[in-house]
Amino acid sequence: MLRTLFTRGSASFLSIALLITMVFIMAHLPPGGPAFSILGVKATPASVAAINSRLGLSIPLWQQYLIWWGHLLTGNLGNSYLLNRPVAQILGSYFVNTIAFYTISILVSVAASIGLGLVQGVYYGRWPARVIDFYQLAFYALPGFLVGTVLIMFFSVRLGWLPASGIVDVRDISPGIGSFAAHLVLPVTTVALLTTASLSRYFGEAVHEELGKEYVRTAAAKGVSFSAILFKHVLRNALRPLITILGLSFPYIFTGGVTVETVFDYPGLGWLMWRSALERDYPVVIAIVLIIGVLTVLGNFLADVVNGLLDPRASYE
Amino acid sequence: MNSQTAPATIRGPSANLGRYFRNRTLVTGIALALFVLLPSFLGGLIYGRDPYELHLGQQLLAPSGEFPLGTDSLGRDVLALVFDGGRATLIVALPAAALAFVVGLLYGLASAIGPAWLDRVLMRTLDTFLALPSLVVLIFFASMITLTNTTLIMLIGFISWASLARLVRNEAIAQRGRDFVLAAEQLGGGRWYVARVHLIRVMAPILAVNGTFLIGDSIFALSALSFLGLGVQPPQASWGSLLDSALDIIALDPWWLLLGPGVMIFAALLASSLIGQGLNARFGARS
Repeated sequence: MLRTLFTRGSASFLSIALLITMVFIMAHLPPGGPAFSILGVKATPASVAAINSRLGLSIPLWQQYLIWWGHLLTGNLGNSYLLNRPVAQILGSYFVNTIAFYTISILVSVAASIGLGLVQGVYYGRWPARVIDFYQLAFYALPGFLVGTVLIMFFSVRLGWLPASGIVDVRDISPGIGSFAAHLVLPVTTVALLTTASLSRYFGEAVHEELGKEYVRTAAAKGVSFSAILFKHVLRNALRPLITILGLSFPYIFTGGVTVETVFDYPGLGWLMWRSALERDYPVVIAIVLIIGVLTVLGNFLADVVNGLLDPRASYE
Repeated sequence: MNSQTAPATIRGPSANLGRYFRNRTLVTGIALALFVLLPSFLGGLIYGRDPYELHLGQQLLAPSGEFPLGTDSLGRDVLALVFDGGRATLIVALPAAALAFVVGLLYGLASAIGPAWLDRVLMRTLDTFLALPSLVVLIFFASMITLTNTTLIMLIGFISWASLARLVRNEAIAQRGRDFVLAAEQLGGGRWYVARVHLIRVMAPILAVNGTFLIGDSIFALSALSFLGLGVQPPQASWGSLLDSALDIIALDPWWLLLGPGVMIFAALLASSLIGQGLNARFGARS
């Protein structure tokens, strides 16, 4: 287990180092650089040069790259063009909001996927599984911004049950935890509906496959009850592929989540990135790309660790 | 000829076509694709109304005989907007998917048939790239460039190729050890010759399946960007921006503004997914 932690951990470190390099390259790819994007048609050689020297873009690229590393290692993510404050200070509350949002969404999705997948695996080919098949097919193709908008239409506008937007901060307790929870119901439901559609499919297949294996027949022949086989043996074995897939799905969950955050005006990293992109506040955009990339790598690492705990054999692979 | 005595390997084209039609997933997918393509490219011509004409005093009307899908907050005909928005979406998304297909194919092939160090560098880069959610990368670049149809095609095309590249590389490596490929190499075929003539041909099923999925990815990417205001720019309508303007006035309960673009995006993405799955089942290909 320790060895797995070490090898996977160092692989994740390498991934993050490569990621930092890649984001640096991405930031320097667009022709003209940020000065042109900020100034637009008003750009003159003099104003471009002024902005470039102010942003530290007039020195050689390899020096900029080393400075970028130096800043990152000291926790300096640059200054926001718009607010003229350190990006690291601005991100704090958005970061907490996003972590809360995705943690809850992923827990709900995993619970729903286990429930649906068990039904699908046990009733494979019969009508309960077909209903679930249909849900998976439809929601696999639906984009988050469409599902979110339709949910607002029904549950906020028509029925008036739940707020559509307006949350402030997870840590701001003045409106009460109830208000916070009510604000989270629709965004979490949107992400969970989409994530569960693909996760439950993999889990259902895995349950079906496990149920056909010889150890299940042996256990049944010994007289072990079906529920004991299902919950003690099959569930545990089928969980491994589920967690692997979950780890690999983080980029897709974030891709859906960015539009969901904007639909519900949920002040997370996706929402902030969108606002900053519209305002062309590049230091904020670049910092968020980096953070989301690092979160994805850490998510993969966490999935590996959990898998190692579930199945000791995974450590030797 | 009596069909029962005909050797199993000889089939007329109609028998082959028949097998495609018995594939319900594929047929449903093609029907949905026509449901999306025909209105988007011909609907506007047949319907004949200017999507950008402002019908003053007739803002936000529910569907009626005069306006089959109602009017928006500016008094524009929503049905005409959905037709034109579909055209605007597809003329960017389809070339973008084609570009992503070419980039992914070349990247994957280069990795598979190039020297080992190149494979390692390319795949490591790919892993890093795939750790970034595609929409996050798209927003990042969309904020830095001037958004026109051409730049959007380049943007989506150069971002969406990564998953295909991985599949192409793995499949090409798997196929490279087969006898006819080794024979071609022994007979003096160069690396790119063998890749072009033999590898791409045996990979055709996988390419067809995943090329179809790319079209869906590309339509999703453009619609999401347009929904966020970073894709097709107003006044030009697109499915994504129509949904965005519906969300702006959602408190007024304008259900007909969601209906057109919502159904079209859903149908387009479902069509791509079903055709891909149908082809996959037909070819028995791995994906």
